[in-house]
Amino acid sequence: MSEPRRLHPIAAVSNVLKTLKDSIIPILIIVVFGNSEGKIQLFITIGIIALILISGILTWLRFTYRIEEGELRIESGLIIRKKRYIPFERIQSLDLSEGILQRPFGLVKMTIETAGSGLEAEAILTAISKNEAQQIQDILSQSKKAHIELDEQIETEQKEEQILYQIKPGELILLSSTSGGVGVVISAVFAFLSQFAEVIPYEKVFDELSVFITGGVMLISLMVFLGFVLAWLIALIGSVLKYANFTVRKVGDELVITRGLLEKKQLTIPLHRIQALRINENPVRQAIGYASVYLESAGGSLKDADSSKVMLLPIIKRNRIREKIETGLNDYQLTDMFVPAPKKALRRYILRGLFISVPVAVILLYFFSVWGLFSLVFVGLMLILSYYRYKAAGWTIIGNQLVLRSRFISKTTVYLRKNRTQSISMKETYFQKQNQLATISAKAMSGSGATGGDVVDLEVEDVLSIYKWYSYTPENTE
Amino acid sequence: MLSKPQKRISKRGLTVWKISGALHSLIPFVLAIGAIVLTFIFDWPMWIIGVALIIFALYAYLAIKVFPTVRWKRWRYEVRENEIELQHGIFIIKRTLVPMIRVQHVDTHQGPILRKYKLATVTVSTAATVHEIPALDLEEAEELRFFISNLARVAVDDV
Repeated sequence: MSEPRRLHPIAAVSNVLKTLKDSIIPILIIVVFGNSEGKIQLFITIGIIALILISGILTWLRFTYRIEEGELRIESGLIIRKKRYIPFERIQSLDLSEGILQRPFGLVKMTIETAGSGLEAEAILTAISKNEAQQIQDILSQSKKAHIELDEQIETEQKEEQILYQIKPGELILLSSTSGGVGVVISAVFAFLSQFAEVIPYEKVFDELSVFITGGVMLISLMVFLGFVLAWLIALIGSVLKYANFTVRKVGDELVITRGLLEKKQLTIPLHRIQALRINENPVRQAIGYASVYLESAGGSLKDADSSKVMLLPIIKRNRIREKIETGLNDYQLTDMFVPAPKKALRRYILRGLFISVPVAVILLYFFSVWGLFSLVFVGLMLILSYYRYKAAGWTIIGNQLVLRSRFISKTTVYLRKNRTQSISMKETYFQKQNQLATISAKAMSGSGATGGDVVDLEVEDVLSIYKWYSYTPENTE
Repeated sequence: MLSKPQKRISKRGLTVWKISGALHSLIPFVLAIGAIVLTFIFDWPMWIIGVALIIFALYAYLAIKVFPTVRWKRWRYEVRENEIELQHGIFIIKRTLVPMIRVQHVDTHQGPILRKYKLATVTVSTAATVHEIPALDLEEAEELRFFISNLARVAVDDV
């Protein structure tokens, strides 16, 4: 593969579409705000589109890649010629995905990531045939093997595949119907409707409505209800398309995650790059005994948050997580035994809840009198949430891992290994000190940023013992 | 009981903080002057002048006297063979532990005021977090940087 190759022509189409998408707003501005004659705008628009077309094709023509002397060499650039040589040893992962454009032609998009690539992935081959992708992967893995001959035997022995998780249709529906995406769509619909608030002459409408309303309440509630159902359905379909066929395989010492119905995505995570494990239970899922499991991994780029915060098990029965994790990630050991926050912390949790909700309620009551009474519901909800936050707070140490559990809205349990934890802090405010309470905060690496866990208001002795456990100085760890 | 970090930062650091507190107080000073001028121009009630002056005085007192002193009193650090420990905070006291093997690099840097007083700030970066030891003696800062980067390098080989 040492001769330079071009991407499949589909890459040119993809280039053009991408630039068109990026420049749609300027084009619209020209169209909307141009003079009323319209001819000049037309010419400018056509000119821009023609330029985009030509540059898309030329970019494709200029883009070549080849494999030479243990490097992946990419040359590209329309005006400024760029040469990017990536040594194989520096390549951390090859991710394959199939977009709507690629699928009909049996092509894949290959994303090459290296350690510490900052803002964007190191290189992207937009459209290559599956054959070529396979070739590149083979060459890469062979050259890596050549470097570490000792590991070779072990690797070939372990290279057996093991399916760790495969989403079932029922779970897929459950996942989609209980995901936060539903909320996003609902609020988007509201935002969209509120745009019309200024256009619709409400007062006039209300005058007419008041006649109609006695009989119409039913109708309106029905409309609102239908709106919610519709929003929920949209989110559900989106989620189903995204997470269909979600499969996790363990291949050697890598996890390979594939998902997607229209757009197939594949993600490879070497086990040694995993920095932390996070179990998330949103209230709805918690109520029916389900949870989701995420991995935090090193590397990956800032832009592509997906690659550092990886969904490992999108939805799974709580009691089956342990088995999955312990077969998949030999390094982690799950537990249900937590040291809870002390009783005296409950008061502080409740106060914190009231601290926000009571002023809000007072203001609402003041301005809206009767309708403001609804804000009391909010106060009540905050009280309940505060109690559950208190219940969730807890920590434990098993072996060389620190486990922190807390709740904002969803209950989150973070597993941090000592050798993957970048720093640990304990915080004490004046009032915490009075009650001998403290906050623990542990940080691990995630992509090019930080992740971690915090638990507020633990017994100060407990926090100190976590602190001691983490300390590398012998007199502290006695 | 865990031994607390012992070393304090330079006494001159306190002076620098007071100076920068004074510089920060310029903003409420200008605002207070503005309020007084406007009061005279538009014949606003006189108590506005009083309030403006009190706010300015309070701000200046806190920014120049109270906060730097408390901050300086609280700041402790210790660089051990295996880890760095920091303790600081005015309202929230925060103690942080950074293992030497997690340190990726160490920097020192100086602003104009720090330079005048021959002080420097040391920044310790791990893969995920950045920690700062402010206003150290220039020599001490250089030493510390050298010390930490040496230890950090040794440790990398161990992992």
